[in-house]
Amino acid sequence: MTHSHPATSLPYLRRIVMIAFAVEALIASRPSIAASTPRPTPNVEVYTADGVAVKLNDYKGKVVLIDFWASWCPPCKTSFPALDGLYGEYRDRGVEVLAVNLDERRQDADTFLGSHQHRLTVLYDPKGVSPQAFGVKGMPSSFLIDRAGNIRFTHMGYTNNVDSSYRREIAELLSEH
Amino acid sequence: MPHGRTRTLILTAALVAASFGGGCATVQPWQRGRLADTCMVFDADGSQAAYMTHWQEAREASAGGYGVQGGGCGCK
Repeated sequence: MTHSHPATSLPYLRRIVMIAFAVEALIASRPSIAASTPRPTPNVEVYTADGVAVKLNDYKGKVVLIDFWASWCPPCKTSFPALDGLYGEYRDRGVEVLAVNLDERRQDADTFLGSHQHRLTVLYDPKGVSPQAFGVKGMPSSFLIDRAGNIRFTHMGYTNNVDSSYRREIAELLSEH
Repeated sequence: MPHGRTRTLILTAALVAASFGGGCATVQPWQRGRLADTCMVFDADGSQAAYMTHWQEAREASAGGYGVQGGGCGCK
C-alpha cells in the first residue's frame, strides 16, 4: 500500500500554483492612466509620407485631434472617414486632425489609403514610439489636445457616439483662449 | 532536503521565475497586425469563421470578444 506525501498532494500543488499566479499578477499589474487628467502632449516624432520627421509640439496653438489607427483594425477603418469629415468641418476654425498610422508594413496603410480619399493629415509611426508615449491601451485610440498642448480628452475604440463627443469637446476647446 | 514552508517558498519562486522566463512578451495593441489576420483564427477556414462571427454579432446585437481586431469598443 502506498501513501502520498502531504507535500505532493493535489490541494498542496493547487495552493502553490495559486500563490504563484497571485504573485505574478501583483508584479505584472500597472496603474492605468486617468483619461480625464490633463497632461502635456508627449513631444514625440512621427513621420510624413515622405519620411520627414514631425514633432507633435509643432502643432501647439491649434486644437488637435490625434487618432492612432491601423489598416488591420476594423473600427479604425470605420472611424477614418468620420474623422476626415470632422476635419473638413472644423479645419477653417483652426482644428487639426492627425491620423497616426501604426501599420508595421507601409504597404498595408497605402492600400487602405488608396481606396479612401481623405484631406486630414496622415502621419506614420511604424515602430510605435508615439502610442507608447501616449499610453495607448486599445485600437483605435484618440486624444484631443488644447491650444496649450495639453491632452484634455481621450477616447478608446470607435462608435457613433464618439463622433458627437468629439464635436462637443472640440467646441469646448475652441471656446477657450 | 528542505521541508514545509521552505519547500513551498522554493516551489513558488521557481514557478514565478519560470513563468517570467518562458519567453513571454507583451504584445501591444498596435502590434497586433499579424495576429489580426484571418489566417491566425483557430478555425479551419478563417474567412468562414469571420463571416459566422459577423452574423452572430448582428443577431446578438453585440460585437467584439472574438479574435484580436476589436469590435469598436477598443477592447484589448
